[in-house]
Amino acid sequence: MAASAGPRPGWSRRAQYSLFFSFLAVVAGLIVGLILLILSLVAPQSYATVRGAALDVTAPITGALSEVTTTVTGLTSGAGNYWDAAQQNAELKRQRASLMRRMVEARAILEENQQLKAALQLREQTSKAVATGRVVGSSFESPRRFAVISVGSSDGVAVGMPVRAPEGLIGRIIEAGMLASRVLLVTDRANIVPARILKGGQPVISTGRGDGTIDVRPLEVGKNPFKPGDIIVTSGTGGLYPPLVPIAKVIRLDDDGAIAIPIADPSRVSFAIVEAPFEPTALAVAARPDSEAP
Amino acid sequence: MVRSALGQRSAAIGRGPRAGADYVPASTVLIGSMVSLLPIVSSTGWWPDWGLMLLVAWRLLRADAWPAWWAAPLGFVNDLIVGNPVGLSIALWSAIMIAMDVLDRRTMWRDYWIEWAIAALFIGLAELAQWRVAAILGASVPLSMSAGPAIIIGVLCFPVAAFLAARLDRWRLGR
Repeated sequence: MAASAGPRPGWSRRAQYSLFFSFLAVVAGLIVGLILLILSLVAPQSYATVRGAALDVTAPITGALSEVTTTVTGLTSGAGNYWDAAQQNAELKRQRASLMRRMVEARAILEENQQLKAALQLREQTSKAVATGRVVGSSFESPRRFAVISVGSSDGVAVGMPVRAPEGLIGRIIEAGMLASRVLLVTDRANIVPARILKGGQPVISTGRGDGTIDVRPLEVGKNPFKPGDIIVTSGTGGLYPPLVPIAKVIRLDDDGAIAIPIADPSRVSFAIVEAPFEPTALAVAARPDSEAP
Repeated sequence: MVRSALGQRSAAIGRGPRAGADYVPASTVLIGSMVSLLPIVSSTGWWPDWGLMLLVAWRLLRADAWPAWWAAPLGFVNDLIVGNPVGLSIALWSAIMIAMDVLDRRTMWRDYWIEWAIAALFIGLAELAQWRVAAILGASVPLSMSAGPAIIIGVLCFPVAAFLAARLDRWRLGR
């Protein structure tokens, strides 16, 4: 096969000039592209408005499509549930009984905890949900780990706010449109969360690995403090993320840290809850594009 | 071959390009960019960039699919839809158009394997650029975990894009 059938302008001056100007225009396009790229690397917030607007236009499409897939999966899994209803019923009854026992224990611990806290006169801010939305899409074509959620600045969402699911931490807002916003997931390399091991409370740092897992390292050098199965929770240091939100579960140890998988899987969670920063002053710091969360 | 009068199907006589045939290639690239709007929540970013793949497929098939400079606005839209840093696809896609112009002048003949190799080169460079830009923005992931698998998957998926472009080309020209 010959090289692609090109525009061969022949003897027409007009056609020759138009081809030449098209070439000049694409060179100009390359230069403009490079300038825009450098600008977005140096000052990522300079496109906040246009990117927010693009999110508002595209997120409803994703939202509608995700509605369709949710309905279809709901129908199939619903039919599956009817299939072995009797066995499931027995299983659920057994689980309910055991959960009831544990709930009573937990309530007793909670009461005791409240009394102790009152004794210590701890002032604690209760974090209130700013907005609740669904995770509708993700950046599955890019090395970064972003998700799109269906709430935006019209619901009170602002850049830097932490996002969590009932199960655990999802990430923080990095772009807010009117109707939708983009979340930097905890599995992204640029998302660094101050955390601690739930059992023992040793402070650690959690960083995404970009492939759906999380890298956890202890703050103090020494013996590797992790054990497979350890739960990592936020420590609340820095004031952006509220303390004691589960982040990940350790699955494997490496030389001086461990690899963990996130507890709140963005593809499974039913709701994403946007919360105000634990300490309001943290928002100003987090809004800075290059800040690696407190 | 426009020797339709000699062909089997005499119905082919009098059939020309469809209405808006000039805009079909560019709009398929737009649709390719919009693949990233599918409600897929993935924990890895290894899926191929369909916008880029269709752009390369069309440009390998025809040099006059669109005026070369359209790559810049198409890249801008791709950046906004996919969520790349603005300017990345503008620069990359314009550079691909220029590189293809040079290649068209330098190569006399090329077969399917050479086209696949050229496409693999472009896809690889694009993924590496994306990876490098992500590293500059603070997300320096090891190559084997992000760009590597993405390049392999993209190169293996390219024949699908080439097939789509060829079929759409025949359809839009009414052949």
